[in-house]
Amino acid sequence: MRKSAILLTSLILAGSLLLSACSSDNAGNAANTGSSNVSSNTSAPNSAVDADQPIAASDMSKLPALAQKRTDTIIVGLTNPSGAFTPYFQQSGYDGNVSSLLYSRLVTQDDKGLAVPELAESWDISDDQLTYTFHLRKDLKFNDGSPMTADDVAFTWTLLYDKAYDGDSIIPTIGIKGGQDYKEGKATSIEGIKVIDPLTVSVTLEKPIATAPIVLGGEVLSKAYYGKDYKFGDLEYIKKLHENPLGNGPYKLEKFIPGQEVRMVANEYFYLGKPKTEHFIYKTSEGDTWQYLETGEVDYGSFTATQDNLKKLKDMGYLNIVPYTPSVYGYLGVNLEHEAYKDKNVRQALAYGLDRQGIYVDANQGAGQVANIPTAPISWSYTEDGINPYAYDPEKAKQILDDAGWTVGSDGIREKDGKKLTLHFLGSKSPATDIFIAVATENFKEIGIDFQPEVFADFNALVAKYESGDYDLVSFSTPILSDPSDGVQQFINGEIKGYDNPKVKELYYEALSTSDTEQRKQYYAEMYKILNDELPVIFTSYRKSYYAYNGRLDGVINNPFAGFQDVNNWTLK
Amino acid sequence: MSTYLVKRLTYMIIILFAASLLIFCLYAFTPGDFISGNMKLSPERKEELRQIYGLNKPVLERYAIWMKNAFHGDFGYSLAQQKPILQLFNEYIWNSFLLAIVSTFFTWLISVIIGVIAAYKQYSWFDSLIMVVIFAAMSIPSFFIGLLLIKGFAVDLKWLPPGGMTTTGSNATGFAYMKEVIQHMTLPVVVMTLLSLGSLTRYFRSNMIDVIKQDYIRTARAKGLKERKVLFTHALRNALLPAITLVGFELPALFGGSLIIEKIFNWPGIGQLYMSSFSSRDYPLLMGFTMFIAILTVIGTLLSDLLYKLADPRVKL
Repeated sequence: MRKSAILLTSLILAGSLLLSACSSDNAGNAANTGSSNVSSNTSAPNSAVDADQPIAASDMSKLPALAQKRTDTIIVGLTNPSGAFTPYFQQSGYDGNVSSLLYSRLVTQDDKGLAVPELAESWDISDDQLTYTFHLRKDLKFNDGSPMTADDVAFTWTLLYDKAYDGDSIIPTIGIKGGQDYKEGKATSIEGIKVIDPLTVSVTLEKPIATAPIVLGGEVLSKAYYGKDYKFGDLEYIKKLHENPLGNGPYKLEKFIPGQEVRMVANEYFYLGKPKTEHFIYKTSEGDTWQYLETGEVDYGSFTATQDNLKKLKDMGYLNIVPYTPSVYGYLGVNLEHEAYKDKNVRQALAYGLDRQGIYVDANQGAGQVANIPTAPISWSYTEDGINPYAYDPEKAKQILDDAGWTVGSDGIREKDGKKLTLHFLGSKSPATDIFIAVATENFKEIGIDFQPEVFADFNALVAKYESGDYDLVSFSTPILSDPSDGVQQFINGEIKGYDNPKVKELYYEALSTSDTEQRKQYYAEMYKILNDELPVIFTSYRKSYYAYNGRLDGVINNPFAGFQDVNNWTLK
Repeated sequence: MSTYLVKRLTYMIIILFAASLLIFCLYAFTPGDFISGNMKLSPERKEELRQIYGLNKPVLERYAIWMKNAFHGDFGYSLAQQKPILQLFNEYIWNSFLLAIVSTFFTWLISVIIGVIAAYKQYSWFDSLIMVVIFAAMSIPSFFIGLLLIKGFAVDLKWLPPGGMTTTGSNATGFAYMKEVIQHMTLPVVVMTLLSLGSLTRYFRSNMIDVIKQDYIRTARAKGLKERKVLFTHALRNALLPAITLVGFELPALFGGSLIIEKIFNWPGIGQLYMSSFSSRDYPLLMGFTMFIAILTVIGTLLSDLLYKLADPRVKL
């Protein structure tokens, strides 16, 4: 009797477990389909109000003890720097964050992206727009006290034209006169670089390039230190110097503990005077830095601008919160070599038929903004005049597709000349892609397109598939754009196979050939109108994030183009 | 014995050659390479870089170059980290090793004790409770337990640090440094131990149960020996025998690092480095590390076979 009772009880338990598993699955499915409907109904009323203004810390007494005890050290989280701290020779953006504190540039950018002087106190442009002359400040020194002169600048530029240079700096492609000859070994120095006196260096380009001051005005490497063992064609020795950088930034490297910390100490030879805070540490924190911020181990973190994150940051009380839009844009690449998408009207129908406001703003809790041109809203070239916002309008999309000859078939999918309108999409695995696929499937179904998403967990594999041409739509986002020309390069350099608009090319070169910002603005405005109409790619969104820092820190500036600025003036109250 | 060793070593070398060829080809044929993931480069620059790195040569030629360099002890430079592979290993592997060896030690110690007691008191409430806890610990994902413990002990109670290996900015050396590392190591070791306890405990428990039922245990008890002597001198030694084979397999695990634990606790180990090198296709690092683990695995199996022969005289190799 006892045995059968036990048997019965265990069967009932097992059975109820199974049933509860089934029902929770259904609940899960309902939640997924529900959310995609809900997103189109929710607006984001409050987010617009607080999201665009900096928020001061409300309650400094909540600051964790660990953070209060620090008097002369600023700690910032950073995802794994690898230790290659020499600028121009880095493969990881995080190493770039470190080297931006260890080295100063000749020319940097303000918060709109326009060039402002740093180590170079001014620069002249010749009348033919081909020669740039940089005037260095007096008494510049590297962090070991050795002087910095125009020779070091000339050396840095020459080094990058070496044939063994394997980094991704654009200086080798900017076309310094004589650079190609040097690279091929036909000359022992670059003709176009002239050192006029220890404080003046000039460089002559082969064609005028408006971005030259910013591109050529990068970090300066000491000739005595980095050029000691330099022989043409052999750059291996630089790898040994990576972890012992010699620079002239506000801080110099004290100690590097791989995988854990980059410890830096104030550079007394910094050209603006010794930084106010003695120590600056980058602490390795893979992924998000929430727990470090909450326990006071770091003083600074950046997060996506969702409502949830904002609330969590405000509740901590001891953080100043500043909204921030990085200089990037997201877009959907379209395969212009496929028959269906050669037609501009079909691409426009895709833009009208996709609820980008719902996907990138509402479903993202306000951490985004819809994009219609290839430049970020913070850039000096941003404009909305004459730009079609492609507001979500499925009826219009259907109309366009009908007019283009795509008639709805019996299964709801449009066809033309016996071919169905399918959309093979490549995306990388992430919560944002999941949202996109959920909403896009419904949007495209409504206008009669067969949407076939393919998700890749591995970015490299996605790029390989994209390069092989087996796709219709692919989701990408640009790297940081330091000049508006960066954002439109992909439309003129042949990267987008099947798109070749001579007018766009002409405007691109005109905009680069003059240094007059107002004139450049007009060229870009015209270019944006064309790109916005022809849609060689479908622009999707701009990212919005917050950076939050310890209320004790004063003077924190994070510039979307140049990173941390004015670091020598950051103080701990 | 010596013929056995010679035979085994020959097999090992053949296996390692074949493994290295297979691994190299696998990585080379995975779509995408180190250059393709960088969106900032123009197509011409990408071709130039591929030429500099030698990535546009045929696979077998690249393999031959790598093999030749490897024999000279030069495993190349990591493409992403821009430093020699062996130096990179040296910097990161010992941290993973530290975590692994401490948690392996505690896992074995605790599972032997619990396994023996559970087997001795089979079907008692202690045994059933242990089994439930073991299954629970095995089923909960490591990142969940890890994050839960961080929230509890580090963020709320502030007893232990939330991650990293040392306190930021500390210059402690010697004993103070050891104390700091132990403090930071506690949570990751707890999580790793909890996860591996499950299978090992069950293994020891079932071995012990089989051994306890043997006739020679009855004889030992009949002789009037103390229960403790019966259990630990006679029963446990026999039950541990099969477990010796497991020791050999622990060797690669000791150096392999643990991706999830290291990511959650920001522990500077080799696991997270390996994963990131895979997605960026950093071939020198991938090949170097995979071959290292392959060598350890092969040595580990040889070690278990030899240890087994040592422990059990009945076994003939």
